[in-house]
Amino acid sequence: MLADRLRFADIRRTSAFRLTAMLGVTFAAGIVLLLGAIYLLTARELTSRSDRILADLAAQVLATPAQALPARIRQENARNEPGLNFFGLISGDGEAIAGRLSTMPARGYDRPVDVEDAGGGIGPIRLLARRTPNGETLLVGRDISQIRDLRLRMLEILVWSGLAIVLGVGLTAIGLSIGPLRRVRDLQAASRAIAAGDLALRMPIAGRHDELDLFADTVNAMVEDVARTIAQVKGVTDAIAHDLRTPLTRVRAGLHRIAQDDALPPGQRERLVAAVGDLDTVLERFAALLRISELEAGQRRAGFAPVDLGAIAARVGELYEPLAEDGGIALVMDCAPLSVHGDEKLLFEAVSNLVDNAIKFGREGGRVSVVTGDEGEGWLLDVRDDGPGIAADEREAVLRRFHRGSNAAAAPGSGLGLSVVSAILGLHGLRLELLDAAPGLTARIRPAG
Amino acid sequence: MARILVIEDDDSTAREIAAELSAHGHDVLIAADGAAGLERATREAFDAITLDRMLPGLEGLEVVASLRQRRVDVPVLMISALSDVDERIAGLRAGGDDYLVKPFAPNEMAMRVEVLIRRHRERADVMVLRAGDIELDLARRTATVGGEPVRLLHMEFRLLEFLMRNQGETVSRRIIFEQVWGYYFDPGANLINVHIARLRKKLDRPGAPSAIATVKGEGYRLDAR
Repeated sequence: MLADRLRFADIRRTSAFRLTAMLGVTFAAGIVLLLGAIYLLTARELTSRSDRILADLAAQVLATPAQALPARIRQENARNEPGLNFFGLISGDGEAIAGRLSTMPARGYDRPVDVEDAGGGIGPIRLLARRTPNGETLLVGRDISQIRDLRLRMLEILVWSGLAIVLGVGLTAIGLSIGPLRRVRDLQAASRAIAAGDLALRMPIAGRHDELDLFADTVNAMVEDVARTIAQVKGVTDAIAHDLRTPLTRVRAGLHRIAQDDALPPGQRERLVAAVGDLDTVLERFAALLRISELEAGQRRAGFAPVDLGAIAARVGELYEPLAEDGGIALVMDCAPLSVHGDEKLLFEAVSNLVDNAIKFGREGGRVSVVTGDEGEGWLLDVRDDGPGIAADEREAVLRRFHRGSNAAAAPGSGLGLSVVSAILGLHGLRLELLDAAPGLTARIRPAG
Repeated sequence: MARILVIEDDDSTAREIAAELSAHGHDVLIAADGAAGLERATREAFDAITLDRMLPGLEGLEVVASLRQRRVDVPVLMISALSDVDERIAGLRAGGDDYLVKPFAPNEMAMRVEVLIRRHRERADVMVLRAGDIELDLARRTATVGGEPVRLLHMEFRLLEFLMRNQGETVSRRIIFEQVWGYYFDPGANLINVHIARLRKKLDRPGAPSAIATVKGEGYRLDAR
């Protein structure tokens, strides 16, 4: 079951994606280093070969007698018309004497340098200067555009292979992430359902024996354990029901029977009836506790069907209208249809409990309203009174079992009502919020999560 | 007086049920397991059966299902330690007429059995209920007190109908809430009290004793005054 569509942002965060991307970056860095090294070594080799050739050419030309040198240079230049080697002769004070080269290299004599533009359309070249025996300077240059071409090719290779790597790594990373991500989503969906109370459900196992399977296996073992514990707890509560409720009920029956006796001395019947009343309170609490644990165990989904919570609230309103009127309270119902998947009787009980509380703890002569609404994120159903309300720091506590609000002492009740409501709502994937209605309290039912 | 079969494997519970029903003037027979109970219930005529949900061998649900299959329509009160609503639904679906959770107050159990018996004895062709000067026309959904028409709301009509069908007998608030409103939780005594008070206001004449009597610690009873 896929809860929602896979988005790139989710894929990007998977470890498969990150690992693949990291591997891709490392691979790309390796390629850059490798190509760089090849380029540097090749360029150095080609340059030193050029330097040796330049030195040889210079030596050959220098072997020419001084007065024949200009002619030799012109001859050499003419011979190299296509433009591989270039020669030039300049005087001691820098005047061009012969040849196509006339600029002294930056680093002086005997040290070849790269010159991008040697004038006269020549360049890039490797240029060597040699001093002739009579104080002139011989310039020998050799075309190095091959080396430059090599650099360009290398760069092109780098750019294209880089693009290919990025694309390849990206696609691989996405491809490798989708499968695991889908499985994680399935695991997530299963774990949510389990957390919501479906302890019969287990995490899906792909059978690959990978880390996700190991994880699912571990969680399944945990769920099994929890289910067993819950069954034990349920067993214990059942034991309480048998061990305490049964004898207490017998005591109650005994007292009730004695109270029916017409020969009782005066005053005794009242005391017996009071004792039976106290026992009833204890038994009611036991019953409520058992109900809560049943509800919290979440095993009552069998009777769930689509129901209209708005209509249920309206029926609760009809049931409680006389009670409200009796307390001088105006009960205002304004409920729109709200489709909920649930148990009609349980939801009726939950809303009843809230309305009962609102009437019980509301202001005498005040107003209790039951209103449905819409609040952006979803629907809500509010039961609002204008009584003293519950202090902010106490609102959490009243949802706990047996806790009674500080102003509840005078009103009848077990302190379990809101726990029952919470348990019923929890079973339906709904939750109860207590809010300040200023003045009074708003008990709000809304979808959980 | 009615003839009642108690199918219950726990001896002390069986005796307790029998004692209470006998105290109400009924003739009680006990069957200790499902098979014996089913056999007896098929062979003899009873006015009602109390049936434990969990029995050794033949289970309570199977007993009631078999009874219905054999067209034995005697009313059955299922009694069970399983309080879950799902269990109640299962019990009623199998053919039970009412469902009581253990442990129970015996007088509450007896009240339920009697409500079942009376409901079963009612003739289907009765269209008008009478109690003293109160008359309830079920077909036309109208009520009169001393010949004067009284306007009743839907639930008031159903409440009065239930009390009239059980006139002369005490019914607990819990039973009233279950049978009239159809919900199985405890709404608090006050809620039923105010509904009864409203009904009284419509039925009673000032100064005269109420048609609906309060039975302290038990519930309410409508008498033919």
